[in-house]
Amino acid sequence: MRNTWKLIRRFVLILLLSVITLFILNVVLLIAYTYDDANNRGGWQAAEEIAQELTETKEGYRLSPYGEEILEEMDAWGILIEDGSGDVVWHSGNLPSGIPLHYSVSDVSWGTRGYIKDYPTTAGARGEDLVILGHPKKRYWKQMWNTWSYKLIANAPQTAIKVLGFNILAVLLIYVLSTSGILKSVKPIVEGIEALPGEDEVYVREKGLLSGLGASINRTSEKLLSQKYALKKKERAQANWIAGVSHDIRTPLSMVMGYAGQLEENAALPEEARKQAQVIRLQSVRMKNLINDLNLYSKLEYHMQPMQMSRINLSAVVRLAVADFVNLDLEQKYPIKWEIEEELSVCIMEGDKELLGRAVNNLLTNVRVHNPDGCKVSVKLKTDGEKIRLRIEDNGAGVSAEQLDRLKNAPHYMADDGNETGNRSRHGMGLLIVRQIVSAHGGEVEFGRGESGKGFWAELLFLLTEKIKS
Amino acid sequence: MSFEYLKQKKILLVDDEADLLHMVEAILKKDGYTQIRTAGSISDAWTLYEEWKPEFAVLDVMLPDGDGFSLLSRIREKSDIPVLFLTARGENEDRFKGWDMGADDYMVKPFMPRELTSRLLAILRRSYKSENPLAVLSGSKVDFERAEVIRDGAHIALTAKEYDILTALYRNAGRIVTIDQLCEAAWGDNPFGYENSLMAHIRRIREKIEKNPSKPVSLLTVKGLGYKLLTED
Repeated sequence: MRNTWKLIRRFVLILLLSVITLFILNVVLLIAYTYDDANNRGGWQAAEEIAQELTETKEGYRLSPYGEEILEEMDAWGILIEDGSGDVVWHSGNLPSGIPLHYSVSDVSWGTRGYIKDYPTTAGARGEDLVILGHPKKRYWKQMWNTWSYKLIANAPQTAIKVLGFNILAVLLIYVLSTSGILKSVKPIVEGIEALPGEDEVYVREKGLLSGLGASINRTSEKLLSQKYALKKKERAQANWIAGVSHDIRTPLSMVMGYAGQLEENAALPEEARKQAQVIRLQSVRMKNLINDLNLYSKLEYHMQPMQMSRINLSAVVRLAVADFVNLDLEQKYPIKWEIEEELSVCIMEGDKELLGRAVNNLLTNVRVHNPDGCKVSVKLKTDGEKIRLRIEDNGAGVSAEQLDRLKNAPHYMADDGNETGNRSRHGMGLLIVRQIVSAHGGEVEFGRGESGKGFWAELLFLLTEKIKS
Repeated sequence: MSFEYLKQKKILLVDDEADLLHMVEAILKKDGYTQIRTAGSISDAWTLYEEWKPEFAVLDVMLPDGDGFSLLSRIREKSDIPVLFLTARGENEDRFKGWDMGADDYMVKPFMPRELTSRLLAILRRSYKSENPLAVLSGSKVDFERAEVIRDGAHIALTAKEYDILTALYRNAGRIVTIDQLCEAAWGDNPFGYENSLMAHIRRIREKIEKNPSKPVSLLTVKGLGYKLLTED
């Protein structure tokens, strides 16, 4: 619906602009076309000039050659009416027959206002006398009653605006009437298209002006739904397959681990053999972790792991993970520094306790896996008032710049090219799971290297949703 | 540790994999357990249960003639013996189901032999604690049965909260128990903001169990994380 409104607004705007532009254009055109005609002043000017060019001699009046030229050019005849007597005291040679040679005052008034014998006239004063020029009949159209009411002229601007307003209204009315029909048929189409990205099936009535479009939308919706369904089915199958494999592998792996453990502790075996058994046990522990990771990863990836969201205390989750880590570190190879801002001691957020604990665990396990000889670890929980930052940092082997780059950018575990033999390349799934878990909580993950190029840090950022009790 | 009397308990192992049964049996025997029987199906397990009256059961979930949950509910109709699930089913729903039905612990395969034996011993200690000797600390002994501390011949009673906290610490003796876990043990779910009360209780517990409460040697603080109880046994 929003789109339809946008469309209407746009159209109205265009219409308004067009009306205003048209109005201005019309005024300009009018001026341009009538500009030439402003010369009709020429008739009057000529009469004035003729009056100047007449000189009084003993034999009467004489027109100068220049005056003759003007008359010729205008194709006009002229008379000079004497003041008082009303007699014509001079006339041009080309005076048509039937033009009176005597004028009363009212004749003069009529003659100058309008026509003499259908010849349109112009007049000019020569002292007390009057020169009247008669022009060819089709040269001018004279307005006989050339007065407007004063109000009309005074109100001209308002009148123009009113006219413009009426024009705009009329155009809008025409637009609304003509488009309401189209809008009616466009509306369901627009609504249909807008609903397409949503979850539900879209149905548009296939009727009216745009029935073809409606049908296309319906078919698109069907297609999208069936594709989504197929994709889900495939994902589910994939996740189930992974879950099945990881289930079936557990019992055999138990036996590998169990017997390797027993061989390792069997005092009757030579030292070398017991060491080998230890390797088998440690590697099978690794396999176990990989299987757990793979299973969780595929479930999170395909949304088959239901989130158990509740109000949790993030610092409690972190504390537990850190305590587990310390409890496991019997040889104290990984001295851990745990810092928490005091106001975060109770840090409430909406989350899945198990999954968040798993994320912290994964990061701490990574520290152990990648630094078998031990290193210092620091875990910090801070806030800037908007976000909670959980930073886990070690000063161990660290990563190279390229490895870090790959960690940040590899979209998928499978994207790892597998050529890398170093330990960090196997960071893969553990960190991906961390990322999945954090983003399922609306948070972000950042990775980096220590300042001196040594060590590795990961930072989990969550939005602080509840105000901290001060 | 001197838990020899627990090693005499009758232990029933149920799993459909004969190889795995052999291995677990060997692990437990090596750890000193003497009375172990195994079953590969629910019906075998049930017969054995009726005849032999085991005192501890390790159950698999997936069995050829049904699932371990139903076996547990049949056992629960008759007795309260401790039960540990040892299964390849690692889903949270399965774990919760197991715990809800009254299992004492739930372990997911694959597992480390030592993890199994220590969990098993912990459950036995808890379940048969009336036969449990007193918890021996550096400067005192704790009698959980009577909820009291015995120090220099004097019997000092523990309050309910002190008892809950000390029990949680004792069950995880030698390991860090976080502040939050202790609060949960004393005040129940979602115990936000009880840290100060916890500190007060810890101080009082120390006054009861430690020779010098300001220099504790049994109940140690792990800064920022929680507390750790060290026992002498």
